[in-house]
Amino acid sequence: MNLVIEFVVASLILLGAAFALLGSVGLARLPDFFTRLHGPTKATTLGVGAMVLASAVYFTATQQGFSLHEIAVMVFLFITAPVSAHLLAKAALHRSAPECSEEIDDAGK
Amino acid sequence: MEPVHLLIAIIIVAFAASPLPLLLQRCGRGYAALAAALVMAACLTVLAPLVAPVMGGTTLLASFAWLPDWGLALSFRLDGLSLMFSLLILGIGLLVTLYAYYYLPKHDTLGRFYTLLLLFMAAMLGVVLSENLLLLVVFWEITSLSSFLLISYKRESHESRLAARIAFAVTGGGGLALFAGVLLLGHIAGSFELTQVLAAGEHIRNHDLYAPMLILVLLGAFTKSAQFPFHFWLPQAMAAPTPVSAYLHSATMVKAGVFLLARLHPALAGSELWFWVVSGTGAITLVYAAYIAFYRYDFKGLLAYSTISHLGLITLLFGLDTRLSAVAGVFHIINHAIFKASLFMAAGIVDHECGTRDMRRVNGLFKFMPVTATLAIVAAGSMAGVPLLNGFLSKEMFFAETVGHPVFDEMRWLLPAFATLAGILAVGYSARFIHDVFFNGEPIDLPRQPHEPPRWMRAPVEVLVVLCLLVGIFPQWSIAPILHVAASAVLQQELPAFHLAVWHGFNAPFLMSLVALGGGITLYALRHPLYAFYERLPSVHASIVFERFHNGLAGFSAALVNRLDNASLQRYLALFFTFVLALGGWAWFSAPASPLPVVTQPADAASIVALLMLALAAAGVVVLHRQRLAAIVFASVIGLIVALTFVRFSAPDLALTQLAVEVVSIVLLLLALHYLPPASPAEDSMQRIMRDAALASAAGVGLGAAAYAMLTSPFETISNFYLAQSVPGGGGSNAVNVILVDFRGFDTLGEITVLAMVGLAAHALLDKLILQAPTHDADGRLWARERHPLFLQMLMRPLLPLALMVSVFIFLRGHNLPGGGFVAGLVTGVALILQYLASGIGFAAARLPQRLPLFLAAGLAAAAGIGALSWLFGFPFLTTAHGHITLPLIGEIELASALVFDLGVYLVVVSVVLMVLAELGKLSLYHEEKT
Repeated sequence: MNLVIEFVVASLILLGAAFALLGSVGLARLPDFFTRLHGPTKATTLGVGAMVLASAVYFTATQQGFSLHEIAVMVFLFITAPVSAHLLAKAALHRSAPECSEEIDDAGK
Repeated sequence: MEPVHLLIAIIIVAFAASPLPLLLQRCGRGYAALAAALVMAACLTVLAPLVAPVMGGTTLLASFAWLPDWGLALSFRLDGLSLMFSLLILGIGLLVTLYAYYYLPKHDTLGRFYTLLLLFMAAMLGVVLSENLLLLVVFWEITSLSSFLLISYKRESHESRLAARIAFAVTGGGGLALFAGVLLLGHIAGSFELTQVLAAGEHIRNHDLYAPMLILVLLGAFTKSAQFPFHFWLPQAMAAPTPVSAYLHSATMVKAGVFLLARLHPALAGSELWFWVVSGTGAITLVYAAYIAFYRYDFKGLLAYSTISHLGLITLLFGLDTRLSAVAGVFHIINHAIFKASLFMAAGIVDHECGTRDMRRVNGLFKFMPVTATLAIVAAGSMAGVPLLNGFLSKEMFFAETVGHPVFDEMRWLLPAFATLAGILAVGYSARFIHDVFFNGEPIDLPRQPHEPPRWMRAPVEVLVVLCLLVGIFPQWSIAPILHVAASAVLQQELPAFHLAVWHGFNAPFLMSLVALGGGITLYALRHPLYAFYERLPSVHASIVFERFHNGLAGFSAALVNRLDNASLQRYLALFFTFVLALGGWAWFSAPASPLPVVTQPADAASIVALLMLALAAAGVVVLHRQRLAAIVFASVIGLIVALTFVRFSAPDLALTQLAVEVVSIVLLLLALHYLPPASPAEDSMQRIMRDAALASAAGVGLGAAAYAMLTSPFETISNFYLAQSVPGGGGSNAVNVILVDFRGFDTLGEITVLAMVGLAAHALLDKLILQAPTHDADGRLWARERHPLFLQMLMRPLLPLALMVSVFIFLRGHNLPGGGFVAGLVTGVALILQYLASGIGFAAARLPQRLPLFLAAGLAAAAGIGALSWLFGFPFLTTAHGHITLPLIGEIELASALVFDLGVYLVVVSVVLMVLAELGKLSLYHEEKT
């Protein structure tokens, strides 16, 4: 495996891990349901997506032929994650979940 | 044609032609009768060429294998005894056919009657012609069944149905005992073929199992031949039309029991036990039934008890167990059949012409029907044992055998005295029959004006009475040849010298006959005080006793079932776990000490955490089981951890299946929960909860202990064999799938059959169910107005082909990599459920196949069919053939016949999931329409 591919795989894994971490922190720290919903959606789409892509690159480079399974996994993720987030939001709206009233400014005060 | 083939042709003709009257009755009742007569005549014609060799002393055997492993063969035997019985069955059958045509009412089209009669005749021929004992039992049961149907011929009458039930319970129960006895006999003799069994008499009598076997066989014979104490069904069976009584319950079927005694005589007789049981039963029956017969005022009942008494006489003769007594027994079988059939027919004529059978009203008929009266008087004389009639000859032989029987050395007068007593009673009831019916004043208040019957109705009686006289006067010329071969067949050895003649000189038997005649007349003269005495005795009605017993048994069963099965699932589970605990505890404490446990795998941190979570989730389900939704969430956690455990221990197949099952079951559960209140009320008492908790903990601890013991005891498993044989034997490198579809394919076939049944049961249970879905949630909020969000609908549609592609992929690679028909079916199921959830049942139902049970059947047929296909190539069921091909993109796939099997599994799984889904969906469709 040449260095370029190694570099690509490593950075994709790191990117995915970073998104997963950020998503988890968001889930834990954000104040209300609707804002908290953003965390896990990013983690599943971008975080897992980057990891899966890394896997696809790695196996395409090391084994014969294209590794297509991961592409299928990504397609499934990109279809289902937004839908489930959307449905969760709709359900929360229906149940009129309490909203955080105070403005959160970008500086994070 | 070969003679032996003719033998089988008789049975085939008889059985195959039995529905003919039913088919021909639309042309008229005469055609039905004609058909029956022609079938019997055809059987006689087929039998005719075989008579000469059998009379010459040969035994004809014909055999075809049926179930050779079980010793059951279609083998038939024609020797003297079978020939004599066949002639009786066919001859009397013909006469009864003619008689019944006139006897049964004009509006009866007779098809059912003659068909049943032919069926009975065929079965009876089967009994007497069987060489294989198991085959004999089969025919024996058919005679019981057809007798049941014939007794209940007047099916609108309660009395007939009750009588049929009693007869069937007694003879059918005896048939079961006979079956058990024959199985034992075959085990002892080493064969079910009569030839071998009859030759093994010495060995059989010395065997340890002789006594139980003999008792069981005798139970069969005694119930059929209405021996005391099983005699009570026969008088009840007189509810049958008189032709049936004449044919089945005097001439043929009740003779099957004594036929069996004669048939198995060389194998079973010759022991103390045989002598005491058979002759004891016969003697009690002989006297007891004759005594009762004397008091019957219903003349058909009188004849029924006299039949029982004569059957007791025949049984006694076989029980006496001298060679000449067996000859006398065979002789009396013939004689009794002839005179009793004619008596029943004559009684039927009287009944038919007078409309009642009560001898207190039917009197003085001689001047209304002199010919019938004369015939009946002659036949009754034969029954009483009057000289010059056939009954006299066999009764003489019986008397001669009782005199000086070797066993009663000390009390040599006992047996002759007993015989004479029976003779006196027989003369008594015969005298009553003759005198009360045909003389004794004027008829009293008869429903009809009696007169002679139609010419041809009387003909069968005339034929039989002529036979009585012929045998009685010229025995040596008429009956001796057939008696000789029949008796030789019974004894299987040279017959002792005997001479049939009316006059043997003035000896002890003749003296006994004289005493019997004189005593009988005296008895009849003294009848009035005797009747008055009998009237005062408490009477027992067999039918009432039987019904009481029957109802008691049924009530007891119902009570037992009610106590065990009260439709409470909690109780079933409690009973089940108690039983399992008792069984497990017994096994645990009675087993020998096992070797010390061997821990093969150290526990790692991840596994411990996972197991703790598993325990936590299980506890959560228990605590929160009333909040259904929360409980389901916890249950799904359990499922996921179990799937992870499978991954941890390198079982990707199981993990995949577990995940798919988890998804399907959670979705279906959620759908079902929609119709239930979100929380269930607390109803159990504390006591109940404690009991259940104790039971559940004990079961859990027990299962844990059993699992621990299993996992830590060192033993060889079969897994290595499967792993080694997977590629060479099954052509797939995924051992799990190869085991499922190949090595243990029969198991899988059974499992998918069960799954199919579950699907059908769900379908049947939910099909017409209408449930009211709640209109708002637990907090009283209405459901969202937008039932199927557009976003969801639109994005789920492209998902279907993708998911199906995955399913196909998993299916095809299953033989070599984790996957297979079961997982693929579940994935397809999930994909379809998704469409249903996204777009609603209306959308899904319009696009899904409607007749899901057909797909279910197709799946089962594919799995079983490919298994059966291997028979064509001479391999056992479910043998697979395999070869590999390579497809672009997908790679190498297994093209084995197992793939078709797997396709069957796939179809069954998909259809079951969809069936449950469609039924649950229909409920909500109803709901949607309403709102």
